[in-house]
Amino acid sequence: MSDAIAKESSAEGAFASLSVAIQTRIGRQRLRKIILGSIPFVVIFVLWQMNTAFEWLPAVFIPPLGDVFGAAITLQEDCVGIGGALTMDNSCLLTNHIFSSIGRVILAAVIGLPLGIAFGILAGMNRTVSRYLEPVGVFANSISGIAWIPLAIVWFGVGWMTTLFIMLNTIFWLMFFNSMLGVRSVAKVYEQSVLTMGGSRMDVIRQVYFPGAMPSIITGMRISLGFGWRALIAAEMIGGDSGLGFMIFVSAEEFKIEEVFLGVIIISLIYMATDRYLLAPLEKWTVERWGLIWKPT
Amino acid sequence: MTAKLVVEGLSHHYPDEYTGVDVHALDNISLEVNEGELVSVVGPSGCGKSTLLNILAGLLPYRVGSATVDGVQIEGPGPDRGVVFQEHAILPWRTVNRNIGHGLEIRRLPREHIAKRVQEFVNLVGLTGFEDKYPHELSGGMKQRCAVARTLCADPVIMLMDEPFAAVDAQTRITLQEELNRIAMATKKTILFITHSVDEAAFLADRCFVFSARPGRLKEIVEINIPRADRIWSEMNANAEFIGAREKILKLVREEVSVATEE
Amino acid sequence: MQQRNDAPSLGWRINKLLQLDAMNLVILVIAVYIIWSVISALIDNPARYLPSPIAVAVSSVDMLYKGLLPSYFGDTLVRLIFGSTIGLLLGIPFGLLLGINRTVADMFHPIMNFFQSVSGIAIFPIIVVWWGNSDKTIFAVILYTAFFPIAFNVLSGVREIPIRYISAARTLGASRYQIIKDVLFPGAMPHIATGSRLSIGFAWRAVIAGEMLAGRQGLGWMIFTGQDADNTAEVILGMVMIGVTWIILDHYLLRPMEADTIERWGLVQR
Repeated sequence: MSDAIAKESSAEGAFASLSVAIQTRIGRQRLRKIILGSIPFVVIFVLWQMNTAFEWLPAVFIPPLGDVFGAAITLQEDCVGIGGALTMDNSCLLTNHIFSSIGRVILAAVIGLPLGIAFGILAGMNRTVSRYLEPVGVFANSISGIAWIPLAIVWFGVGWMTTLFIMLNTIFWLMFFNSMLGVRSVAKVYEQSVLTMGGSRMDVIRQVYFPGAMPSIITGMRISLGFGWRALIAAEMIGGDSGLGFMIFVSAEEFKIEEVFLGVIIISLIYMATDRYLLAPLEKWTVERWGLIWKPT
Repeated sequence: MTAKLVVEGLSHHYPDEYTGVDVHALDNISLEVNEGELVSVVGPSGCGKSTLLNILAGLLPYRVGSATVDGVQIEGPGPDRGVVFQEHAILPWRTVNRNIGHGLEIRRLPREHIAKRVQEFVNLVGLTGFEDKYPHELSGGMKQRCAVARTLCADPVIMLMDEPFAAVDAQTRITLQEELNRIAMATKKTILFITHSVDEAAFLADRCFVFSARPGRLKEIVEINIPRADRIWSEMNANAEFIGAREKILKLVREEVSVATEE
Repeated sequence: MQQRNDAPSLGWRINKLLQLDAMNLVILVIAVYIIWSVISALIDNPARYLPSPIAVAVSSVDMLYKGLLPSYFGDTLVRLIFGSTIGLLLGIPFGLLLGINRTVADMFHPIMNFFQSVSGIAIFPIIVVWWGNSDKTIFAVILYTAFFPIAFNVLSGVREIPIRYISAARTLGASRYQIIKDVLFPGAMPHIATGSRLSIGFAWRAVIAGEMLAGRQGLGWMIFTGQDADNTAEVILGMVMIGVTWIILDHYLLRPMEADTIERWGLVQR
């Protein structure tokens, strides 16, 4: 009998120690936050399923969850395989839209970020230049990316160039502004010390202003990519012919709400994944490190 | 002498915040605080003093044992038990006056009445002239005076203090202790305060509850029979009763500290 | 030999004048005007691609005369104010209520974060399927766009209030309502101010986009149809109006209010 008791209590003990182990590993506070935080999501999921089962709202308002996933499969069913998807063959509808949008993001980032940073740093270094360019930047930022869309359509017609331009525009001005402010926050005395040590203009940029403006630049990157992504989706909706924004707009016109839901979910996932796993850690890593070493005046 | 606070058989467990391991904070605590008494609770770190205070304040629910104030079970925070927190908890966006009057404001008493009472307590704690200042304009000692005034102004049955003078410098601390003594004499309030400092406990308390190391048990009660009016720091070092009591408490606490560190 | 001047030289005078703050704006405007006119004159089809500033000015006078410009401007502004006011009025109490209990606050934090990142524009097609191209749709989108940033900010702000302030109020016998009024609301003030500015900013973008997509009258609609009708002057006019409106709104109203609030409430939060 003592054997049975020993076994039972050892099972209990094993469970208890496993529980403690998990809690120690993840940290009880974090675990609690994770579990608590997922409750609303679970509730929404349950409500969604119940809505489909009990038909509280018609399917055209809230599509069954299964249909949303089904739409993904339907859109891709004619696809000629991964090779086709990667080469953006016409048959792979969903992946085409996703890659179009992401492609524009990457292109706009690759062009817009360096340009914005470069101009911003230059503007920030020269007091006179910034006095004139800052109002321009303020005004350009105030005409939000979206308001540029009709003009872009006039210039480039409906298509990928318009959408690319809008995102580029948004990113450029935000990066310009943030870089300029970042450089302005670096005390003049650092530049002077490099110059008096015999450094050249390039040295000053590389050794003083670029590192000094880094926190603003990284934060600016995160903000501009966030706003740029939103502007891109809007541009694709209004003036595009491909991409996720275009897809959800057209699907809405055709009342294919499950495709709309699918698109919106994908759009949010892309944004959240990039922001949470790429940009936020980058910002944390650089800005916090830099923040420890140096704070702007 | 009526007992204002009666605790019987109070025990408390809780799972540790970070590892989930069960912590036995208090073990079978039974004590009484009489009307007008100033009692202190001393013990080594981790002996459950703060847990006890939080339970008595009603901020921590308890399952085993009973705790009553004037015969009524403690079931949550309330104005009958005023609390002075370790780190000042006066609201930063209210002036000294508005902070001190906060308890009465909550009870929706008429404004003239509040103003009168507030002025009494401003004067009592020595903050005259600072009525319209904000907390960030006050020193640490003054903030705690304001906190004490706030608690007293709300006229609780018992005032609970959680290491109220731990966050100020040594000089201010001595001054505040003498102040608290003076206030206790003037208001005849029932006070229970938690402290790390044996000196402080011996100086202020009529009775001192010494707790053991975790799990916290009531180890011993040390009585200190010095009239309130005689409790002045400059004279304490010549007072045999004080020295004796302090030695005794110190010895008891030291025993527990070595027990705790041996674990 | 050193020149002795009793009166300041002309050169010095001009230099001083140039350094006046307003001066650089004047110079900027003149420079932009010149560059713009030159480019406009040089390109092939200016009426279509880049009408000269004069053409845009003419167009604006025309629209003012017809009463259209003020009408569109008013429509857009009304939508913005209406939608964001209701969004704020709903979002602030929501954030405060959620914040009373730390557990509830922790529970809602991730999902609020999620909805905050799904922009109103992405939501638009869903709402359009429900309610068509109507004012109701635009209003719903603006409400959504304004609600989440402020609610999330307020929730975050309340979570940052040191617990001892809430505990102190509880030990004084404060009711739930009194805790919100005396502790949570003042304590979250800086966040309320910042969140409000952000919400209105997002709502502004949503209004413009919504008008373009749903085809309802307003500034956004104006530039969209302007492009459609090949009336580029109207498009540029609309863009300028949008920019100027936001500058006035943001720099002269929202930011000062936010800075003022933070200074008053944030400073005392030490």
